[in-house]
This record gives sequence, structure tokens and C-alpha cells, in this order.
Amino acid sequence: MESRWRSLAREPLVHFLVAGLLLFLVLGRSDAVDSGSRTIIVDEDRIARLSANWERIWQRPPTAEELDRAIEAHVREEIYYREALRLSLDQDDIVIRRRLRSKMEFLARATAESESPDEAVLRQWLEDHAALYAPDAITSFDQVYLGEDGEADDVLRRLRQGGDPAALGAPISLPPSMADASRSEIERRFGAAFARAIDLERIGEWQGPVRSGFGRHLIRVTAHETGDPPALADVRQRVENDWRAATLAEREEQAYALLRTRYSVEVADVD
Amino acid sequence: MKRTLQRTSAALALSAMILSACQSGEQQQTPQQLANSADGGTAACPSQVYWGDTHLHTANSADAVFNGVRLTTEDALRFARGDQVRSTTGLDAQLSRPLDFLVVSDHAEVIGIGRRIAEGDPELISDPTIRRWHEMMNESLEQSTRAARELIVGYAQDTLPERLADPELARETIVSTWQEHLEAVERYNEPGTFTSFIGYEYTSMPTGNNLHRVVMFRDGTDVFGDTLPFPANQSQDPEDLWAYLAAYEERTGGRAMAIPHNANLSNGLMFAMTDFEGGPPTRDYAERRQRWEPIVEVTQFKGDGEAHPTLSPDDEFADFGNTGWDTANLDASAPKEPGMFAGEYAREALKRGLLLESLLGVNPFQFGMIGATDSHTALATGDEDNYFGKFVADEPNANRAASSVGAAIRGRVGWQYLAGGYAGVWAGANSRAALFDAMARREVYATTGPRMTVRLFAGWGLSEADLGADPCSLYDRAVPMGGNLAGTGEAPRFLVTALMDPEGAHLDRIQIVKGWLDADGELQERVYDVAWGDADERSIDAEGNLAPVGNTVNLETATYENSIGDPELRMVWTDPDFDPSERAFYYVRVLEIPTPRWPVYDRLRFGADIDPQTELVAQERAYSSQVWYSPEA
Repeated sequence: MESRWRSLAREPLVHFLVAGLLLFLVLGRSDAVDSGSRTIIVDEDRIARLSANWERIWQRPPTAEELDRAIEAHVREEIYYREALRLSLDQDDIVIRRRLRSKMEFLARATAESESPDEAVLRQWLEDHAALYAPDAITSFDQVYLGEDGEADDVLRRLRQGGDPAALGAPISLPPSMADASRSEIERRFGAAFARAIDLERIGEWQGPVRSGFGRHLIRVTAHETGDPPALADVRQRVENDWRAATLAEREEQAYALLRTRYSVEVADVD
Repeated sequence: MKRTLQRTSAALALSAMILSACQSGEQQQTPQQLANSADGGTAACPSQVYWGDTHLHTANSADAVFNGVRLTTEDALRFARGDQVRSTTGLDAQLSRPLDFLVVSDHAEVIGIGRRIAEGDPELISDPTIRRWHEMMNESLEQSTRAARELIVGYAQDTLPERLADPELARETIVSTWQEHLEAVERYNEPGTFTSFIGYEYTSMPTGNNLHRVVMFRDGTDVFGDTLPFPANQSQDPEDLWAYLAAYEERTGGRAMAIPHNANLSNGLMFAMTDFEGGPPTRDYAERRQRWEPIVEVTQFKGDGEAHPTLSPDDEFADFGNTGWDTANLDASAPKEPGMFAGEYAREALKRGLLLESLLGVNPFQFGMIGATDSHTALATGDEDNYFGKFVADEPNANRAASSVGAAIRGRVGWQYLAGGYAGVWAGANSRAALFDAMARREVYATTGPRMTVRLFAGWGLSEADLGADPCSLYDRAVPMGGNLAGTGEAPRFLVTALMDPEGAHLDRIQIVKGWLDADGELQERVYDVAWGDADERSIDAEGNLAPVGNTVNLETATYENSIGDPELRMVWTDPDFDPSERAFYYVRVLEIPTPRWPVYDRLRFGADIDPQTELVAQERAYSSQVWYSPEA
């Protein structure tokens, strides 16, 4: 039973609903506006908040006269606000609509922004998104640059007969060998096409020609490892960043989806 | 005959470390291990070029958010490290290759205030002007851009609403925004994989003349602490920024630098022959300028500031990225007068530096060169086929080339914006310490977007055989880009290699640009073609000109063919006009073969209207930092 509550307590939708309820209660107590009512009550809470707001701006409490003016400004704003609602001026105002929407989205995100995920949550995330954190494959290889359209067959034959790679290629400032190079390092030095073209089935043999941005190469892969998935400790910060970014987006989406279920939307056909 | 290689202490320590590593036969450390080691890999041989952007704006910059951007520091960092991000206008954006580092450099001036206005903070929108801006920002992109224009003019001309100057409100906004920003910067710094620097932009702009600096730090928040950005509304005089940086280093033990940019929009002020007050520069001024500003951003979206045709009439390639940017200052409030160019373009500034050095004993303009984007969309894009625009209104759409809203109000046309600019940094590891130190010793270069690999070494012991040598073996015999040589005898030799971007275009040529102070005290310059593609078919004619490389661009399909030019160019060069008694600098300019500019891709993708004036094809390029030669006293 307890674990069900705990898992429920981790549900983002529950967070959203609880936050919404709290907000409703807080706002409902002091801020509820019945635009139909012509009674304006300025209670002690309201006065305290007006005073605090004044102090935040001016760094000192308001005098009695200044507080009276703040109350009067509040009443004036309230009256105009209610009259505007009566006239439905809020209806098609794009600024108001956007502002309300962003307030709703903020509500949906707010819980995740302050949340600090525990180990289990992050470990689960790592497991679910293993591909994102899979280590780059590590490859060791030798390469002979043939030039932009150099002849391959003859060089390949000589290499296979044990010819010296250093003596057979065209000159270029590329490493003749890379040891334990990650896939991204190979792409950085030789380009993506080259990294893709390496045939891992033929480890130990000279192969090619393979094309890079620079031209044609013969290559010999001497070692290739895919590497073990990382432990959480090794990628923790990255996992937490990704979890947070994805969770914020997801809560916003879920909150919207929940609201969306309450509406039936009809979109006219346009052709 | 005497000759010396002058290196920074870091470079000397470096060669000592390389030697000791060789002798002890230690197991080589992986890039990750180096970056995470106690010294951050600063002692390792700079065997790798790391790519990044030092100049990028998010919704925390007032002008960016007013122009519509809603992406944050976190979005910017995720995008730069290679993630797909949804742009403000709802487009999916991604880099074809991740960057290695990023400085999110939002404007320091009340950083975060624009976001509060956009969000309708009651304390701000009580002001009628700010309230109007708030409504414009949330109404439409066009209205928002208009509000941005009012804000920039107000800032440049000092007519902003008083509410924005309220010190308490400003402080509260800055502190909370900055904390949130630092938190994201720290979370995304991943030594060995992706480096995220603390930084911001100091936006000095007296009467619209651009004196901006990007300020960046070597440190994490453990050292940086609760330091706040230094804004130009405290002082427009960059000397006060330097004083602030000196105080920062003194207080924290950290390290900082400032990077001037868009000298091309300063109406002659950025590299003036006077200080900010108009007084003559002193030796002390020169020392501090060199100390705090080791590099300059010479190319970015808002034009290229390496050279200008009026200053370099004999340089047929001096007109790159000038159109529209050589007519007025930043906010187009004052037109450009002919005499102003000399204080605006990097090559001329480097020449001025030689003259000032001969007078003051120190060169105030001894800076290396980098490129950056200055994107205000939070997206650090550098490629022509992936240009996301300067402002949100210029995110990919059919109208931006011909009539960009953001550009037009400043008297410039959309197509005149460049698609990129990145910094290439030679370092031994991808860490804050290693990258920052490389920038401080100027072992960096600028590109207009493509990631070509450019090396430059200079010294007396270099020969053709060194072209095939491991560059790490050259450091004890030569200086790399950014270094100093001193001598009295024979000409030094320059070893230059330029390897094309493996995903990009072939190379047309390597040029060496020389500037010097002659025996009559006159400043001179000359551009030498030193290596070029298709060398079996091209040569230098009787007038000393190298035939153009040709043009394979297909404007209908936005493609080009690597059937001209070469994948790599390299050579060892000796200056035929070398005079050991003359101060000089040398840097490398590498030109690609012609490729399509971004409006061509726009036309293909969106059927964009292209004005007949539009420049459709360009030769993108890289600029190395300099090697300086001085006669030994």
C-alpha cells in the first residue's frame, strides 16, 4: 500500500494537480474575483501584501499616506479589471491570452524545476536511454592516402605483400595511424563518410579504397571495441541534465494532454 | 647573427613536459583523462584544433529577447553540444557537427531585464513605455522588433525610461538572472567532451560607435564565486573594464580576458591611436591592452573585419564580408568617413601596433584572431546551409535575404549578414584551462564557418623535411601562431599547412600577409601567394597575380564540386623581402574555392526572392594569428 502511494507521489500528473489545487486554495482565499460582484474587500492580507510590494521596490515601509495611495490604486485597478471583464475585453486580447498560457505552462513545469531526482530515477533514465550514453566505439587503424583519385589496386597489392605504408601514399598532414580513436575523433579528422566506410568485418587486412573529404584511402583496422555502457557515476551530470530537460517538457505536455481530453475540437476541412 | 624564439612561459613549460613524457615512457592519457587532470591538460602538446563560439546571445540579452528569442542558456548549450533544439519560431535546429566549446555571452547591461519585461513583471510595466514594449513583445514578431529598435536607440542615445535605471530593481534582476545562468553553465561543462565558459558581453557603445567586448573567464563557480558582470552603463571606457578584470583576478586568483569585436562598426574608435579619452596612449595603456585583450574577433554575422579594400587596394580578396558594414556605425546613427577605416580593420590595427611599439616599447595591438557568430537566436550556427539568422525574425524564411526586418531598420539588408564565424583553438585538451590558455597565448585562428585545419610555425631551424614531421616536435625549434621572434640576421622560415574541412570545400590558396614598419617609419603591407591548388595548371603571372581558381557553383541546386583546388596546401616559405632591422608581423590567410552563400540555399528551399544585388557566391576563409618579428636590441 505504502509503495503505491510512493509511486503515486512520483507521478508528474499528481504533482501538477496538487500544485493546481494549492494554487486554487491560495488564490481562492485572497484573490478570488467575482467579476459580477460590486463589493471590493481590501482585507488585512491584501494590505500587508501591498505594503510588502511597496517595500520591495523602495527598500523601506510605506508611510500611512503612501499606503493609502497604494490601496486606492489597488481599488482603482480592481474596478477597472472587473469592468473590463464585464465588457469581455479579455476575450480577444492576444497579450492577455499569451500571458495566461505561459502562466499555465509555468505551473506545469514548476514542480520539476525544483525537484532533485534520486539515484533510482537517474539509473532508470540511463537504462531507458542507453543509446544516448553508449560510449563511442574505439578503433585503431592505419591509413594510406592515395590522393584525390589515386590508383588503388597496385598500392593495395603491394601493401598486402608487406610493403611499407609510409613509402606508398601521397603526402598529406593526416595521421598515418590512429590508436584507440573514438568514432567522433575519426569523424573529426577524416569526415563522416570515411568513418562510415570502415569495414569492420575485415580486421587486420588492408581494405579500400575508402573515400573521405580529402580523397581516397586504403585502410587497415587493427583493433575495434564497442566498449561497456557507462556507470551512472561516470555520466551523472549529463544524465541529470537530460532527465531534467526531458521531464520539464514531458510535464508540460502531460498537463496539456490532461486538459485537452476535456475538450472536443473540431477543425474545418480546408482544401 | 642572433636570433631568439620568444615564447610565453606556458609554451616553455609545455615543451619541457613533452620531453619528460617522452623520456619516462609514460602511458599516453586519453583526451578525457587529460581534460580532467589537475592542470586541465594545459601541459599537453596542442595537437588538436577545438572548435567553438565565444559570442552568443539568449533571452537574457535585452536586444535578443526584444527581437523575439525565448531560448535560454540551457537551450544554447544543448544546441552547441549537438542536440536538436526547437528554435523560437518552431523550427527544428541542429548542427551537423557538435562544437567543442561555447561562451554564452549575454549583454551584461541589466542582464535578464528584457525577459522580465516580456513576462510582464508588474514592477517594470508600471512604466508606460515599458508596458507598451511588453505588449509589443507579446503581440507579434514585427511589433517586437520595433520595440527592440526603440530599446537599442534609447540605449545608444541615452534616452531609456528611468525605471530601467532603478538600481535596486536592476540589482535584483541581475543577481537572479546571473545565478540561474551560472548554474546552467556549470551543469553543462563536461571536460574532455564539451567546455562551457562563464562569460558575458560588455556593451560599450558611445553614441552608437561599437566598442563591445566579450568577457570570458577560465574559472568555474568555485573560483568565480558571486562575481557579477561589469556593465558598460557603469563605464563606457574599456580601461575601466580592464581594472575590473584586474581586481577580479586579484580577489579570486582566477583568470579573465576581454575580446573586442565588430571594430568594423566603431567608426574608427576600436583601434584608435589615442585612448578612450582622446589622449595619447602610454606604455602603461599598451601593456594593459595587450594583457587583457590577447585576441580579437575579426569575423562574425555582422561582417568581416580583417581587411578593407580602401586600406588594402592591392589585395584582391580584401572585400570579403564588407558590403553594408562599411557605411556607418553600429546603430547606423553616424555615417562612416574615409579616415575611420584605419581604426576599424584588424590588418591596419596590427600595422598601427608596430608603430606604437616603436614609440612606446610595447605593442597595444598585439592580438591574435578568432571568429564567432554573435547569433541572437541562442543557436551557434556557422554553416551557409544551416544559417539560422542574426535575430529571430531572420530564422529561416523566404523573406529574410531581401528584406529582413531586423537588418533593414539599421540600414542594412538581410543578405549582407554572414552565415558564420568560429574560433579554432590549438590545445592539448578540451578543458576551460587548456582552451583559455591557448587563447591567451594566441594559438588560435578565425574561420568564416568552415572547419579547415591551419597550422603555422616560424623559426630558423625549419626545413621542407618538417612538413612531414609531427607538429609536436616543432615546439622546441619554432614558435606557433601567436608567437614572437627576435633576431638580427637571416630571414626566419615559415611552415604552413592548411587542410580542407573534411566535410567542406577544396582550398584555392594559402597567402601570407605581411605588415611591417619600414626604415622611413612608414607602415607597409604585402600579400604573398605561397601555395595554391591545381599547381600543375596555375602559376603567378608577370604582374605577380595568381590566376583565379575557377568556380564550380551551381546556383540552381546550391552545390559545388571539389573538382578544382586541392584538399591540402602546405609549404615552407621564406620572406623574399626580409629586412632584419624592420619590425614585422606575418599571418596566414587560407581561401576556399567558391561556394554558395546562404541566400542560394534559401532560394532553393523556400523559393526566396533574391535581390539582384545579392552576393551569391563567396570564397570562405581562415585567418591565422600572427607571428611577430622584431629586431633584437
